[in-house]
Amino acid sequence: MTTLAVRAGGALHRLAYDPAAGLSLRAILEPTDFRVRTACLGLGACGLCRVRVLAGEVGVPTAVERAQLEDPLLAGGVRLACQCRPVGEVEIEVLSLAPPTSWRIPPGGPGAIGPLRWKADPAPPHAQPRPLGVAVDLGTSHISVAVIDLAGARPLALRVGANPQRAHGADVMTRLVVAGDPDQAHALASLARAAVGEALGEIARSEGIDLRRVRQVLVVGNTAMLSLLADRNHQRLLEPASWSLPLDCAPLETASWGREWGLAPEASIEVVAPLAGFVGSDLLAGVVAERMPDLRPPALLIDFGTNSEIALWTGDTLWVTATAGGPAFEASAGHDCIPAEAGAVVRVREGDAGAFEYDIVAGDEPRGLCGSGLVDLLACLLRQGRLGPRGRFSDGSERLEFAVNGRVLGLGWREVDALQRAKAAIGAGMKVLCGCAGVEPHALQRVLVAGLFGSHLDLDNAATIGLLPRLPEGRLALVGNSALAGACALLLCADARRMLERARACVRFVNLGRMAAFDEAFVDHLYLEPMSSAS
Amino acid sequence: MDGPHTSGPSTGAAFQPLVDALLVGDHKLLAAVAQRLIEQGCSREQVVTDGLEHAMGLLDDKCTVESFNLLEIMLVGRAVSSVVRVLYPDGYAPTQGRATFVIATLEGDVHDLGKNIVRMVLAGKGFRVVDLGRDCPVDDLVGAAQREGAVAVLVSGLISPVVSQVRKLRPALRACGLAHVPVVAGGAALKQLRPEALDVDYVAENAFDGAHYLERHVSGAPAA
Repeated sequence: MTTLAVRAGGALHRLAYDPAAGLSLRAILEPTDFRVRTACLGLGACGLCRVRVLAGEVGVPTAVERAQLEDPLLAGGVRLACQCRPVGEVEIEVLSLAPPTSWRIPPGGPGAIGPLRWKADPAPPHAQPRPLGVAVDLGTSHISVAVIDLAGARPLALRVGANPQRAHGADVMTRLVVAGDPDQAHALASLARAAVGEALGEIARSEGIDLRRVRQVLVVGNTAMLSLLADRNHQRLLEPASWSLPLDCAPLETASWGREWGLAPEASIEVVAPLAGFVGSDLLAGVVAERMPDLRPPALLIDFGTNSEIALWTGDTLWVTATAGGPAFEASAGHDCIPAEAGAVVRVREGDAGAFEYDIVAGDEPRGLCGSGLVDLLACLLRQGRLGPRGRFSDGSERLEFAVNGRVLGLGWREVDALQRAKAAIGAGMKVLCGCAGVEPHALQRVLVAGLFGSHLDLDNAATIGLLPRLPEGRLALVGNSALAGACALLLCADARRMLERARACVRFVNLGRMAAFDEAFVDHLYLEPMSSAS
Repeated sequence: MDGPHTSGPSTGAAFQPLVDALLVGDHKLLAAVAQRLIEQGCSREQVVTDGLEHAMGLLDDKCTVESFNLLEIMLVGRAVSSVVRVLYPDGYAPTQGRATFVIATLEGDVHDLGKNIVRMVLAGKGFRVVDLGRDCPVDDLVGAAQREGAVAVLVSGLISPVVSQVRKLRPALRACGLAHVPVVAGGAALKQLRPEALDVDYVAENAFDGAHYLERHVSGAPAA
């Protein structure tokens, strides 16, 4: 890794970056707290993203830069961040910071959605301007919004932000209970809608995208979130009798949503119907994104989140279930646990003499551990014998502290307990689902890990703490936000839509709440140890 | 340790391995130790009172449920269940336990972890607990209370919608001539509310708090 030193807002920050990735300064800065102001897609059209290069090599000025910047500016080292690609140790000053926002761009930019495994249907001839699609993944804790070029099958912009409904309950159940009051339900629906509008507004401003080009918006999410968005039938989710039935979450009208979001009147807005119980269309979208029905069975997809969902493809049946992962892997597990955003410790490694080394995402000031960092840390502590498989620190302390770049991060046994519970719910869910389908977990040909761990999770460490089974090389894969990628695929082509309906037709839903085997498996999976081959 | 009983190796030292195994939650070891004590001539009641109850007392004194992580609680619970299975392979008969309680998670709630913990704590104290499971209709619970001669009815609720079910309990008990049987509630949703709001006799903060209330109730001491 190479250092990019950034002077912004009177302070000097040191970012680690990989020159081999060939990213522009703008792309490197986007996930950080010192984003540069922009108003176009990074083609040099707006000329706003000015930085001063103080030291190091970023390539010669492009034709666009020579057009946008007068000679004295160029001579003074002023450049457009979207046009320069640093190649070594570089120091820059950000001349115009983007206004603060709660909508972050994940590291990797729009590419963080992951590969789109679907080709776009042919566009109508001479369609000008090119039509856009908007994909929304409405999660319990986070909302992701992507804008894609429908003809080019290319993601143009991506934002991830907190679901503002969190203030009314971190978990699905609490929020549903709050929505028992019609006024509160109305408020919750407005919050989610406003959040999507906010993300779109910011994309329009920073990427210079005209939202009136949007032809279609597709929303996927878990059943509870979709029912709260549409403000329909959410109270039925509190009745166990309805947990294995489909739930109608189709909004009664969307014209007002389109107006609120600044779309053209002809833009269509669609909420993709969930499956049953708490298994939503986010899981189905993930199945489409990864083309699970084309994979060699048995194949498993786990979408990690506050409401975790699991799909198992056995060749003729798609077994699905939902389990309360809890927010343990994300924000609010403990005050030192945060989402994988700027300042998150995403990786922890054992260095020389047992000391820990840390990777901080998009920044140099650690704010806390995110899910993948927490998994690494627990695995390191287990290997060093400082943490027992029951979740207690070996020296008897209530809390361990670690110095990361001059800041002290803590890990208490209660945070470990919360992670054990989430891990057990998912592990037991996986085991029971496999049991229902007559599949031995270690016989899985493919295990796809989607959701909040993004691309950071260390699969070996995940196996060490028993979060995932230990499988031969190549069978486990991180697939990022497969729900959002699936929504993009559904926007792009009719074939994806057909796969969705085929998958929907061969679903078998498993209600873990009614499975006696779940309780016993849950206790077994509370241990921080590799899943046994028998389990 | 309580004083020795009349027969067998019933000194405190003899029960120490049982207490140790319970405290670390090793259910296989615990079942083996209990089996050995029985073979050495201990009565089942001694194993419960000098072993299980004593160990549960230690857990209770040292700390509350809040200072355990979930795995530790589940392990202790599983260990207690394993001993109960050794001692009473056919289940407690109505006369064997100290007193009988019926417990359930009511219809509309399938979260029964909390209920299971309470059942284990009470079993560890030598009570007979008839568990009606989760998602249990009010009438089934009341019917069981009548059939089993329960001295209290216990309900656990994690989610708020179950509150309306809890409020139906007392009228249903009264209709069956069980007006004198107290109702104890616990669990995340229910413990937010006062007993009057739920129409119950006591709202337990945690499993041990509930057990203390029931001890007082069974011994005839003032319930407050």
